[in-house]
Amino acid sequence: MGRPLRGRPAARGAASPPVARGAADPPETDNPNYRIMKKTLLTLAAVSAASILAAADKAPIELDYPAPFLSGTPVPIVLPNLESPDAPQPTVLAPAGVSNIAFGKEVTSSDDFPIIGELELVTDGDKESEEGYFVELAQGPQWVQIDLESTATIYGLGLWHFHTQKRAYVDVVVQLSDDESFESGVTTVFNNDHDNSLGFGAGRDMAYVETNKGKLIGAKETKARYVRLYSDGNTSNEMNHYVEVEVFGEY
Amino acid sequence: MTQDSKTSLPGAPLARREFVKNSLVAAGGVMLAPAFARAQSSPAGEINVALVGLGVQGRVLLDAMLNVPGLRFRAVCDIWEYSRTYGQRKLAKEGFEVNAYQDIEDMLEKEKDLDAAIVATPDLWHARHTNLCLKAGLHVYCEKMMARTVEEARSMVLTARETGKLLQIGHQRRSNPRYQHCYNNLIKKAKIPGRITNLNGQWNRAVTPDVGWPKKYAIDEATLKRYGYADMHQFRNWRWFKDLSGGPISDLGAHQIDIFNWFLDAYPKSVFASGGADYYPSREWYDNVMVIYEYDTSYGPVRAFYQTLTTTSAGGGYWEYFMGDEGSIKFSENPSLSKIYREERAPSWDKWIDLHYLTQSEAPAPAKDAKVDVRETAPLAQFDIPVALDKPPHQPHLENFFSAIKGEAKLNADGEHSFKSEVGIFRVNEAVAARRVLEFQPSDFEV
Repeated sequence: MGRPLRGRPAARGAASPPVARGAADPPETDNPNYRIMKKTLLTLAAVSAASILAAADKAPIELDYPAPFLSGTPVPIVLPNLESPDAPQPTVLAPAGVSNIAFGKEVTSSDDFPIIGELELVTDGDKESEEGYFVELAQGPQWVQIDLESTATIYGLGLWHFHTQKRAYVDVVVQLSDDESFESGVTTVFNNDHDNSLGFGAGRDMAYVETNKGKLIGAKETKARYVRLYSDGNTSNEMNHYVEVEVFGEY
Repeated sequence: MTQDSKTSLPGAPLARREFVKNSLVAAGGVMLAPAFARAQSSPAGEINVALVGLGVQGRVLLDAMLNVPGLRFRAVCDIWEYSRTYGQRKLAKEGFEVNAYQDIEDMLEKEKDLDAAIVATPDLWHARHTNLCLKAGLHVYCEKMMARTVEEARSMVLTARETGKLLQIGHQRRSNPRYQHCYNNLIKKAKIPGRITNLNGQWNRAVTPDVGWPKKYAIDEATLKRYGYADMHQFRNWRWFKDLSGGPISDLGAHQIDIFNWFLDAYPKSVFASGGADYYPSREWYDNVMVIYEYDTSYGPVRAFYQTLTTTSAGGGYWEYFMGDEGSIKFSENPSLSKIYREERAPSWDKWIDLHYLTQSEAPAPAKDAKVDVRETAPLAQFDIPVALDKPPHQPHLENFFSAIKGEAKLNADGEHSFKSEVGIFRVNEAVAARRVLEFQPSDFEV
């Protein structure tokens, strides 16, 4: 059983707020625009400070990685939107103490009869990628969906497709909604479907090579109960695999 | 030995397809996977196929075969329930309801209308499974190495001869259009390398841990022993055990040393090799092997070096390198690792460029003052191979097998030629142990 993941305690005092430079400037009381400008600057400063205070209560989500495991000789990966293997994980902030609320939650899928494995493996907390630890769905576009049981504020997601052989999954789209059928109120938080083959609009996110590090995805603090993740095969074959999905949020 | 392991799959594929279709359309206009539509048709003249062994390689072959029209999958056979389930469910999604068997004799007894078997079991079972299928009247595609020993491989050729059935060995590069272009056009017709004098090849892999298994699907001890495995660890990591396979030089080298023999139209006259089980404490077979072959060809002697290392992917993974006095061809299944180099003394290759045998990728770099040493050879002009394989690597070889069954093609890696090509590979481990040069006799290559 995997342990819940948490955002690290906020790093305090690391950065100075970018305050307006008026204090260092000579008074410009004669300027008719000065008061308006000053008011604007103070407002901006207040907003910025509020953001900074909010951000100061948060820390980057850091995923726990399973041990790396690669077998065989990799198949060449050719995708037009493939990011560098050295690309770092994005920085996704979450309040201290936020944990993986997807752990143990019910999973449904467009493929109700997986080729191998069970849908429960998606949220069982185990990120190993060997036989017996992943679920393989049919070829073509498929989705898995996690029911968080009630609406939560979602800060980020961790996603592991399959990582014992190097490959990139195609048309990865992650959506959040309070509607179980995803017909309304849908927020897309990740989309690397560069040619809009799934019909959700062309995505600007990059495809990436699966490793034991998976993928960290920012969730824009969206309030939602359901998480749906799409893919359409991978660069080694047409199948869709899920090892684990983590959802960092709070109710 | 047999037991009634026949099982049937619950659920109707059509109902599942409808579910998927409806779900995806509701989700936002997602297209239905084309394979589902393809599986609904059932044209006449199909080839009835059984899959024997559904591990990693068996699944790769299955994926490739699903792209080949005219096949009707009838049965899967594997001693592991986990793999049987995989094959059965995967084929159900493609519209094929297949029977699953643990034991091949049980399958051959009950499945009476099979035309062909795809054997992708561990090496120690290749000869037995192939011979059983051939004698049952099936054509066989068997993965390489043909067998664990040269005697077992010879028995496969003899059985194919006796039964008159086709035996294709899984040396899939022989059906790869890039390799065929290299052999037929670049080497034979254009003679791009000039006189080939040396070969080099490697398959280097980075460190990999032992393979595990889902504990809840472990095979019971009695069944494992009945099929030759001490335990699940051996069953899952059979490539590293001496009673079960020939190790990395057999598993990986078989692909590329076969290319040496094919492109030279010759078989080695001697082999010298060094290797050891140096890195992995729990693995029996040599984890690194370096081999030197000597060939006598119609144009003179050729010396070939091959290495397989399993602790590093250094040198770009896997490739074969044909070196001659006018040029060299570095060749790989991975196009990014392939390149042709022209020696300055070679006659013009413009004719071959015009015929699209090759394309020039880089002009030779101009002479620079920064040259390190006046004796250093100038950089060579570089060329590319303008032929692409737009299918999974195993698909053309499987297509060749099924075309041969229909009488429309000749096998590209039949048992007779594959046996001759593998004789030199079988003896590498023997040469490592002997620590001396081993000579081949013409009779070694005869069946």
